[in-house]
Amino acid sequence: MTNLVGPVLRMGEEIEPVLAAIADDNPGRAVAVIDRGAYVRIEAADRITLTEATLRRHLGPDYEIRSFGAIMSSFRGKVVTTSDSITWENVADHTSDGVTP
Amino acid sequence: MTLLKREDWEGFVRDVDWTYRYVDERTVFPPIHSGSGKVPLDAWRAWEEDYKVTYPEYVATQSEKESAVYAVKASMQRSSNWEDLDEGWKSATKMHYGAVALGEYAAVLAELKMARFGLAGPWRNMAVFGQLDELRHASIATYFAHEFVDRDPQYDWAQKLYNTNNWIAIALRNLFDDMMSTSNVVDLALQLPLVFETGFTNLQFVALAADALAAGDVNFANMISSIQTDEARHSQQGGPTLEILLEHDPVRAQWVVDKSFWASARGLAALTGPSMDYYTPLEHRQQSYREFMEEWIIDQFVRTLEERGLKKPWYWDEFMRGLDTWHHALHLGLWVWRPTIWWKPVAAVSKDERAWLAEKYPTWERLYGEKWDVIIDNVNAGNVAATLPTTLPWLCSTCHLPTCNATQSREGAWRVRDVQLEYDGRIHHFCTRACRQIFWKDRVNVNQHTLVDRYIAGHIDPPDLEGVLGYMGLTPDVMGDDPDYTAWAADYAGRPAEGLAREAAPSVDPHPTGGRPADDPVHLDAVFADDFVHVLVTVSPTSTMTELAAEVARHAEGRRVRARGQAICVIVGGRRLPDDLTVAQAGLRPRDHVVVDYVTRVQP
Repeated sequence: MTNLVGPVLRMGEEIEPVLAAIADDNPGRAVAVIDRGAYVRIEAADRITLTEATLRRHLGPDYEIRSFGAIMSSFRGKVVTTSDSITWENVADHTSDGVTP
Repeated sequence: MTLLKREDWEGFVRDVDWTYRYVDERTVFPPIHSGSGKVPLDAWRAWEEDYKVTYPEYVATQSEKESAVYAVKASMQRSSNWEDLDEGWKSATKMHYGAVALGEYAAVLAELKMARFGLAGPWRNMAVFGQLDELRHASIATYFAHEFVDRDPQYDWAQKLYNTNNWIAIALRNLFDDMMSTSNVVDLALQLPLVFETGFTNLQFVALAADALAAGDVNFANMISSIQTDEARHSQQGGPTLEILLEHDPVRAQWVVDKSFWASARGLAALTGPSMDYYTPLEHRQQSYREFMEEWIIDQFVRTLEERGLKKPWYWDEFMRGLDTWHHALHLGLWVWRPTIWWKPVAAVSKDERAWLAEKYPTWERLYGEKWDVIIDNVNAGNVAATLPTTLPWLCSTCHLPTCNATQSREGAWRVRDVQLEYDGRIHHFCTRACRQIFWKDRVNVNQHTLVDRYIAGHIDPPDLEGVLGYMGLTPDVMGDDPDYTAWAADYAGRPAEGLAREAAPSVDPHPTGGRPADDPVHLDAVFADDFVHVLVTVSPTSTMTELAAEVARHAEGRRVRARGQAICVIVGGRRLPDDLTVAQAGLRPRDHVVVDYVTRVQP
């Protein structure tokens, strides 16, 4: 069974650069984008990751990844934040410490 | 200077805790508030949030959010944007401000309770951010509504609603008291952050933003979707709490999630359902309410709950069936009882709108089309009075919303059936089976009486609709009315219409007390034929079944149910009662349920 995970972003100018950054950070993965105007749903199977370094390439060298919180209205799965990355993954990965039997 | 990475130091600060030397931990965290129950206190040390934020990050990001939202507000304030908005859409925002603004304040208190009594340092830390978030939401909603108060006093209900005895205010206080004010923090974390905020508020704050933007309300869309970015973070208090509770007390975890899921679903059906499927102008609707529910609740949220180890709630089939009925009946009810609300509900049943509804909801025409047709024909006959309420809808003892959910029998007949139970010497009626079950399991916590209960108890003076409107704080300048009857009724003008209510409805009142309270009134929960709602009727012990039938009929026949000009009768427990029997002789008790229908439709 495919488990879709990923962020839901609110309206704003950052959406296109963020999509480009997600494509860079998740090469070869099918990422679906559902655009409903005021929000855009971004989904891929099991895992999407996004780094500050890549976001800076697309949004400018001063971009801080904590600002991502200002555009993410919701997300599917669970989100794990570090000081330089955000990862969306299956909830179940957490309870098994990421080890899939 | 090179700063340490967050991961290098946050472990030391996010889990700061006291070592208690003068008191024991249970004194600091009394069970009544901390709610640990069967979970050993030590188990809470494993509590860990996924979405980590430090205080400097929090402050910097919140400042950016605020700047962005207020910049849009300032630019919109200089435009004619508000004047150009559709009146129906404005109603969706008025409903939002009234129902949400001070609800956010209740959430401040709820977050503060978790910040004080949460059983792990990181949890209390997150709750501090959460209460700052909710403070922002309460401020932003009241401030945004304030801009329009001088142009339209209905916006003032952003501040006013919760401080009145409006039936919706009572329903919301009842909902949020259970979810936030009276819960221990473990149950609270499951009900508010996990169920309400990870799940349902997405509908009203993100999904509805799609309609808002399409309808041209950039300001509102921007504001609500910004609010939900806070929810996306602090709602994460739910996940780790659920995980620990599930390990030690899965039955409790399942029950708390199930009951708050149901309460949230009922509330959203009343709030978001009409906004999406009726108040948003047809050309701007992005999806139907059902489609948004499927996207956000069924595909996104319920799957998350299942991944976390919960089962689907026991009422799942009833919930799914309700996606096609609940909000349509609630919309019809809000429209009929429009003098009791603080917005201007648009009926939104023109031919094009009905075609859209029928496409999205295959049973819509069958369940609601004829009721609206009778209303439309009354409007086109110049008898708007016949579309106004003459009594109160019966309100569910659990969710406080009207008992208006039609279900289908095995034979295929759709009726709003009675769901009742007797408790503490009183007959209670419910809108659904799940509401009844939740009431029974939670009965010792049920303290809030519905508006109908208060009316019956004699708290409303004078005991008539005018008294009810006064009790609810509604003044003529605020009372809701349809802003444009022609917009939807004109499509049907000139068609032949039969079976309508006679003009000047009160004059047809056949009731022996002439609408005045009887000396010894008997209040009943009644439904006429296939009307969409149960209503309160008042008769006396000496009223005959003929008189009772007429009293029930006058609230619905020719108003929403086309009059057949045929004999009617009273049915109790599936049995027709003789016409000359009195209420006392029939053994009808206060709050009993009666059906009135055409004799020809009664099984011999």
